[in-house]
Amino acid sequence: MNSLFTEISQEIVSGIALGSIYALIALGFILIYKATEVVNFAQGELMMVGAYVNFFLIQSFTSSMGAPTFLTFILGLLGSIIFAVLFGWFLDLIINRPMKDEPVFSIIMATISIGIVLRAIVGLIAGPMSLVPKSPFGGAHIQLSGIIISILDLFIIGAAIALVAVFYYFFNKTRWGLAMQATSEDPIAAELMGVPVNKVYSLVWIFAAIVAAVSGVLLAPRAAILDTNMGFLGLKAFPAAVLGGFGSIPGAIVGGVILGIIETVSMGTLSFHFQWVKEINDIIVWIVLIAVLMIRPTGILGTEEIKKV
Amino acid sequence: MKGRYADENIKWIPALIGLVILLPFMLKGITFSYKYYLYILNTIGIYLILTVGLDILSGYTGLISLGHAGFMAIGAYTSAILVDQVGLPFGFSLVLSPIIAGCFGFIIGFPALRVSGMYLGLTTMGFGFIIRRLIIALREWTQGSGGLAVSSPKLFGYTFNGDWANYFLVWTLAILSIVASRRMMKSKVGRAFMAIRDSEQAAEASGINLAQYKMMSFFISGVFAGLAGVLMAHTNHFISTDHFDNMLSIYFIIMVLVGGIGSIYGAVLGTIFIVLLENLIVPVIEEWLHVLFQIEAGDIESLIFGLIMFLFIIFQPTGLYGMWLKIRIYWKLFPFNPKQRFT
Repeated sequence: MNSLFTEISQEIVSGIALGSIYALIALGFILIYKATEVVNFAQGELMMVGAYVNFFLIQSFTSSMGAPTFLTFILGLLGSIIFAVLFGWFLDLIINRPMKDEPVFSIIMATISIGIVLRAIVGLIAGPMSLVPKSPFGGAHIQLSGIIISILDLFIIGAAIALVAVFYYFFNKTRWGLAMQATSEDPIAAELMGVPVNKVYSLVWIFAAIVAAVSGVLLAPRAAILDTNMGFLGLKAFPAAVLGGFGSIPGAIVGGVILGIIETVSMGTLSFHFQWVKEINDIIVWIVLIAVLMIRPTGILGTEEIKKV
Repeated sequence: MKGRYADENIKWIPALIGLVILLPFMLKGITFSYKYYLYILNTIGIYLILTVGLDILSGYTGLISLGHAGFMAIGAYTSAILVDQVGLPFGFSLVLSPIIAGCFGFIIGFPALRVSGMYLGLTTMGFGFIIRRLIIALREWTQGSGGLAVSSPKLFGYTFNGDWANYFLVWTLAILSIVASRRMMKSKVGRAFMAIRDSEQAAEASGINLAQYKMMSFFISGVFAGLAGVLMAHTNHFISTDHFDNMLSIYFIIMVLVGGIGSIYGAVLGTIFIVLLENLIVPVIEEWLHVLFQIEAGDIESLIFGLIMFLFIIFQPTGLYGMWLKIRIYWKLFPFNPKQRFT
């Protein structure tokens, strides 16, 4: 019995780490959705671009400065964040500006097409081989009564909580955050009150790109593989965002962690003990999504949206 | 009374049907590799049936589907199992399998009543993933991810063998689908769909049963996709879950968008454009890139498709058909063109 308990707790711990990554990607969706009511289906691809930029930066640093250390990791992270700032601004320019008043369908398709293009371009530049990124912490881990927790996982969980907290504070307490809330409520009224709506939009896309880059940088060493299919993982963060409640920032971390735990536990213990669970492993997040949408479309922390006619 | 622009030029239609009948013979006269072109034409015909159905759902009713390849997979696998393992005649399965796919559309319509916009996109995308997994899980009948060999279609004692015979089967059904969907969209049902697309509240206020018509839209769309799946299974002779991955669903939406969403002819034009681009133009571009820049361009196809879709959404949201309409109206009014209307 004890071993089963250890096993499940081990899975829950790694589920929390995986869920934190989902939470970070979901945070990107939610930021953009909150301010512009656009859903960015290319968030996963943004994450992939961030991971690739980070990988190449670290590679060039190591070739000039010697063996990889924690410093090169931090430098790589900073470099990819700077790249993400430029990239987010660029995306705002080409997607958000021209498509302000288009129907949801067109905007969704535009972001999907940007995702396809990004995947193809990265594939062309980086080549068809998948890369093997190294963890900055090596294999370091701590042991707690039989449960092994790697330092990287702890770092991921910490980063997710910190980023969610920072953005929660930003949205609810600072001047620019309030401007964003006003913009999402009613862009025209906000503009009349003196909110620079276009600047707010650019800022939101830049934030989303930064969050995506950070999640990519953290995910790549955890998965120990980096290829263009990483973008598809972004799709899995949608159920997380919906479960937490689309439009709620703390909802991202709640939904992400719950989904991560569901996924790892069903992949581990449940599949081991029940044959049929094995069949639904890789679609369990989608089953959760459809169940949530049927039962409570607003998610756990979401609020009811009232539509004007 | 007929409006000036609501004209329906029916004289074109027999000529087009004649062209469809003559095309294979012309190809045979021109090139030796006509069988390859026939294969491409068959693909166009099959995809066209599906995109017409997708257009009814997305263009006319305004419901997003990012998992249409799932319906196609249902049609294909149902027909393969019914014909080869249960032993039903192909003609019977040709009717039954699309209806079964339509019933799945009905099921996915239930969550569609509660959610809209991007939530619906997510639900249908999840549906696509779930269907693929379901097919693999039912490996007793479907042989899992290994794929399934399918027999040739037999109708009234005649076996359709090879691309030549398949061409006439596929295009007969394709033309029937176009005509049927056009008639449907001009009827009460089609008008109800368009009313729902334009404003759900206004449609409901004028007495349209939202639930009933949304379900009906999903059902009709599923039937068309199922029919495409049946034809694909029996003309390809082999199906596997890789034929119906999620990228295909996105390609279908690209076809509808490029052609012009919200018009049946638009879906047809877009399908022809994209399939021809994929099979005739993209290989040439890949070869040029290889010769000129020594790039082994692996994924140039999706790069081109993504770019085309993006440019169409930004610069030409009405698609190819919208372009054609603009040109036609321009020439109709020729000397008196209000300039700013066409810039």
